[in-house]
Amino acid sequence: MSKKVVLKLIGALAALVFIAAACGSDDAVDDAVDEVTDAGDDAVDAAGDAADAADDAVDDVTEEAEGAMEEEEEEEGDADDGDAMADAGGNMLTVECGETSSFPAASEPVTDLTVAIVAPSAEDDLAFTQSMVDAVTALGIEPQLTTSTFVVEEAAAAIRGYAEDGIDVVIAHGTQYGGSLEEIAPEFPETSFVWGTASETQGLDNVFAYTPAADQGGYVLGTVAAKLSEAGSIGMVGPIEAGDAALYVDGFVAGAEAEGASVNVTYTGSFGDVALATEAATAHVDAGSDILTGSAQHVVGAISVADANQVPWFGTQSNQVSLSPDLVVASQVYHWEVVLTDIFSAIEGGTLGGEVFELTLENEGLVIEFNGCFELDEEIKGGVGETIAGVVDGSISTGQ
Amino acid sequence: MRDLFTLSVLVSTVAAGIRLATPYLLAALGETIGQRSGVLNLGVDGVMLLSAFGSYYVVLRTENLWYGFLAGAVIGLLMGVVYGVITVVFEAEQGISGIGIFLFGLGFSDLLFEELVGTPTPLKVRLEEVAIPGLGSIPYVGDAIFQHNPLTYLAFALVPIVTLVLFKTTFGMNVRAVGENPQAADSLGVSVAGVRFIAILIGNTMAGLAGMALSLGLGIFQPNLTQGLGFIAVALVYFGAWRSRGVMVGALLYGIVASLVLQLKTRGIIPLEASDLGAMAPAVLTIVALVVLARRIEAPAALARPFSRH
Amino acid sequence: MESLATAPERVENTDVPLLEMRNITKRFPGVVANDDVSFDLRRGEVHTLLGENGAGKSTLMKILFGLYQPDEGQILLRGNPVEITSPTNAIGMRIGMVHQHFMLVPTLSVAENVALGLKPGWRPSTNLGAVSSRIVEISERYGLAVDPSIEVWKLSVGERQRVEIIKALYRDAELLVLDEPTAVLTPQEVDDLFVILRQMTANGRGLVFISHKLHEVIELSDRITVLRNGRVTGHTVPADADRHQLAQMMVGREVVLAPDKASVEPGDVRLSLRDVKVIGDRGTMAVNGVDLDVRAGEIVGIAGVSGNGQRELAETIAGLRPARRGSVVEIDGVDVTAANSATTRAAGLAYVPEERMKDGAIGEFDVKENLLLINHDDSRFLRSGLFRSERMAEHCHRLVDAFSVKTPSLETPTKSLSGGNIQKLILARELDSSPTVLLAAQPTRGVDIGAAEYIHSQLLAQRADGVAILMISEDLDEILALADRIAVMYEGKVVSVLDRPSATREGLGLAMAGATVGEADSFVADSPIADSPVHDSDGPDSDGPESAVADSEVTDAS
Repeated sequence: MSKKVVLKLIGALAALVFIAAACGSDDAVDDAVDEVTDAGDDAVDAAGDAADAADDAVDDVTEEAEGAMEEEEEEEGDADDGDAMADAGGNMLTVECGETSSFPAASEPVTDLTVAIVAPSAEDDLAFTQSMVDAVTALGIEPQLTTSTFVVEEAAAAIRGYAEDGIDVVIAHGTQYGGSLEEIAPEFPETSFVWGTASETQGLDNVFAYTPAADQGGYVLGTVAAKLSEAGSIGMVGPIEAGDAALYVDGFVAGAEAEGASVNVTYTGSFGDVALATEAATAHVDAGSDILTGSAQHVVGAISVADANQVPWFGTQSNQVSLSPDLVVASQVYHWEVVLTDIFSAIEGGTLGGEVFELTLENEGLVIEFNGCFELDEEIKGGVGETIAGVVDGSISTGQ
Repeated sequence: MRDLFTLSVLVSTVAAGIRLATPYLLAALGETIGQRSGVLNLGVDGVMLLSAFGSYYVVLRTENLWYGFLAGAVIGLLMGVVYGVITVVFEAEQGISGIGIFLFGLGFSDLLFEELVGTPTPLKVRLEEVAIPGLGSIPYVGDAIFQHNPLTYLAFALVPIVTLVLFKTTFGMNVRAVGENPQAADSLGVSVAGVRFIAILIGNTMAGLAGMALSLGLGIFQPNLTQGLGFIAVALVYFGAWRSRGVMVGALLYGIVASLVLQLKTRGIIPLEASDLGAMAPAVLTIVALVVLARRIEAPAALARPFSRH
Repeated sequence: MESLATAPERVENTDVPLLEMRNITKRFPGVVANDDVSFDLRRGEVHTLLGENGAGKSTLMKILFGLYQPDEGQILLRGNPVEITSPTNAIGMRIGMVHQHFMLVPTLSVAENVALGLKPGWRPSTNLGAVSSRIVEISERYGLAVDPSIEVWKLSVGERQRVEIIKALYRDAELLVLDEPTAVLTPQEVDDLFVILRQMTANGRGLVFISHKLHEVIELSDRITVLRNGRVTGHTVPADADRHQLAQMMVGREVVLAPDKASVEPGDVRLSLRDVKVIGDRGTMAVNGVDLDVRAGEIVGIAGVSGNGQRELAETIAGLRPARRGSVVEIDGVDVTAANSATTRAAGLAYVPEERMKDGAIGEFDVKENLLLINHDDSRFLRSGLFRSERMAEHCHRLVDAFSVKTPSLETPTKSLSGGNIQKLILARELDSSPTVLLAAQPTRGVDIGAAEYIHSQLLAQRADGVAILMISEDLDEILALADRIAVMYEGKVVSVLDRPSATREGLGLAMAGATVGEADSFVADSPIADSPVHDSDGPDSDGPESAVADSEVTDAS
């Protein structure tokens, strides 16, 4: 079991202790609270011990397995190089049918810094959180993880915990953590905090910010979708009109409209409401859209609608091929490792923050990944390189 | 704009509203029975998450919906046993216990999902829509109302059944009695603990069905799939004044307003700028309706009060 | 059980007592609730258990009904040793119980309440039609008129009592325990109840009667057993004991039941109510035009069955509940109609509320804190905004001594005191401010005789000092013993105001049931008085204007 599993089990047990506390009668409530507090302290101690033990175990296992792994990975790496056909530089490629991701294999760690990630959704969400975890792993670093922190206070506690533990770089992967950082960062001037998606560092000199220019990939995908659409109508399921989700939507709309198609946008008002995203996608299909796209983790519902109705899908944040192997046309994938590499070298050079990094097509932090299983007209695909070049050199405006 | 008021749009709005309402209705009907017996369960959402994951996982592995159905129901039942022991046997404070159950369900379903599944994987088989013979082919009405998955039919069939059980059976009379005046029921030899325990089992099993309706209906699971739906379901019990028909009206109102707002957004009638406001519409409307329609019907007098003879 | 016919005449060996409880001991942590108590009951008799609150009567009866298990002792039913493990078990042995607090589900109908528990929950349904016709049968046989299909919350208190008795008769109870059955009834309802109870004993049933209303005990009982501090302290029969002796047996010392009232000439009007109208919690007009004056040195008693607006009236006078526009409340000539409680207190009001532990004192607070609740911000207790503990302690010691509040210390949590001592504590706090008007609601309810005696003497002392006292009480004995004038409230109105010499228990009883002064004189016995619902949703607005006119005339004349 990983440390994360241990921590989650403790969380679940704490909930049960909580219930047990409620079993006390009126008079016993005080006692119960004391007991719970004690139990909580004990649990934390125990958790520490257990986690340490687990860490050791993991280290052992990792060491043992490393030799074998490396060989395998090298083979895979070779295979990937062959499979993933570089179409136009590093910002566009096609993933061979049957593969689900193009992420480079972990090689030598790029840095000795210790890294922790605090993120709001699950590390396997095929979207926001996974993209960051994959990126750090791709740099050969095994990060400490606190994911699925639905509540900001929980995340703040985790961020503070990592800083107290002496972790060098704490990645606070969520716009909503800005307020917590404003409070925590000044208390730990030796720690570098990396916060995104955000376009400013709030004036804190040990905070780096990062943000994807999601409109760029959105624009490119929008042009492809418009060419592919026979009805000239595309349905978009977004979460809340903010952050990179909104950038993606705006870029996509601009790209599609440049090619003469219209995009109907529905913001569901939620990042996680799968049922609502499903109904939104259904409404788009009913309204005549023959292409669907969307962002945030609730799109798993929208993709299933695309799948059921045989409607092509465009994804963002991560490669979403696994959700619908035949109908995902292409995804804009975030390669945070590009900016992370820059950030890590800045830290090693003694700068702990104060800068904003942007993921773009130009620095290959944004990659358009086509699905090899979807037979896209070569003519359409051929134009993509040109569009990308136009966005990169500024001759095409994404509307931002 | 021009498309909005066509019949087919109306049909899909109503159909989507009914689909969205299904988990709310199942959970709220179960909670109605529980609350009628004097037990408040704020853990509905947690039970839903556990059952949603359990049934999803079983179907993912076995590709057999019946096994999934069984798993979802059994998990609900087991959580009922847990909640019954906590609130009836140990007479714990119900508000806090329910929150505990919720936190447990949220954390544990997430843990299990990440350990056992990891990446959201669509189910190969899911609850399919079944047209009711005859009725399903009525133009428009059939598409809107008689083309749903079996759990939706079950949810709506349970509306009169719950009323019947509560008002026309000995068990229902006992449930209402222990919810209003447990001392009186006890003095006549009705087992307050027994009746409440069974009501809790029924309520939690129905919460399990609600979770299952969500994951098997969508064909997917991800952490915190319910997004607090179970809490809305508890609110709908108050909205429906502890009557199954009122609860149904509340669930339908919530579902149909949500689907209407989606339709309006899809067709650009609600501008993008107002999009986030639109998302609040179901909740706001429910609150407004609650205030405007608030009937002077009081909650079961012994709601959330543990019973003991001393 | 439904199939069991009512067969009270069934004759068994009548020499064997119906019930024998032998040497019952029941301990709770820190208390011995029943200490070697023996009690028996024969067929056809009423055996009264007499004792103060906490004497152990309820514990003994809960053991009989299977709610508690005795630690020691034996129960014999019809000569056979039995173990009663649950109420179901007790009901099966034909034991019935009419609890002091009605065991009814207000949202269920009469028939449903009666049918509750008759069949196990797994049986699909209960035939309510059959239950209803049995209820009608029983009603007719015993004169317990009630409609089986009506929901219980719509019934009057008297009717609810009948439902409780029907529940027991339906289950063919041969042994019936009646725990304070008359506490909430008007005197006429009590008379009706006694007729029914005598009919039941005539049929061979045995009744255990629990009451602390001594004249009722003497009227109804065949035998009397007295409990004190969990022990049996005496046996007697009504022929050998009068009220005075019974009270002494209960308390264990000399008791003054009817305190001497010095004659005091009433002075100026201190409290004046004019056309007071108040909306109650249910949105109806709970107080509907009350006119009343209370003079210095006078006790005005407000009698009435609870729920007729007394509580709302008291809260309005105390500044805790707003009155409708047009109402006037004056204390010592100052209009306090719209004032809050601080202002009414400043105007000279002291208030002893009906709900001691809800409105009168804070249970979690200690004795000292409760004594200082209303004047801890007094300048003599403060130095630079902080409490001067020694002055506070001194003040509290003085009050505790003066009002003989029995408490281990000033730091004892108030909730651990007895009801009587809490009431004395509240009285001490309230009277310390030297009020001109004292409003006392149910001043001795649930209080032991000793404390009640003391509280009564304090009220009379205040009267002698020229305080105007408005006393609200459901206890007619208390009203008759203390009041100089008596106002009866019914459905939010004062239906009659009488000078003490012209008041009789019967006349007051009729007025409490809604008869106006004129009617009360010529009242005939079979009036449907008890049928008037307490929760009449039509509201008292529909009442004619005559009674209001009559009231004000009476008030003015007095």
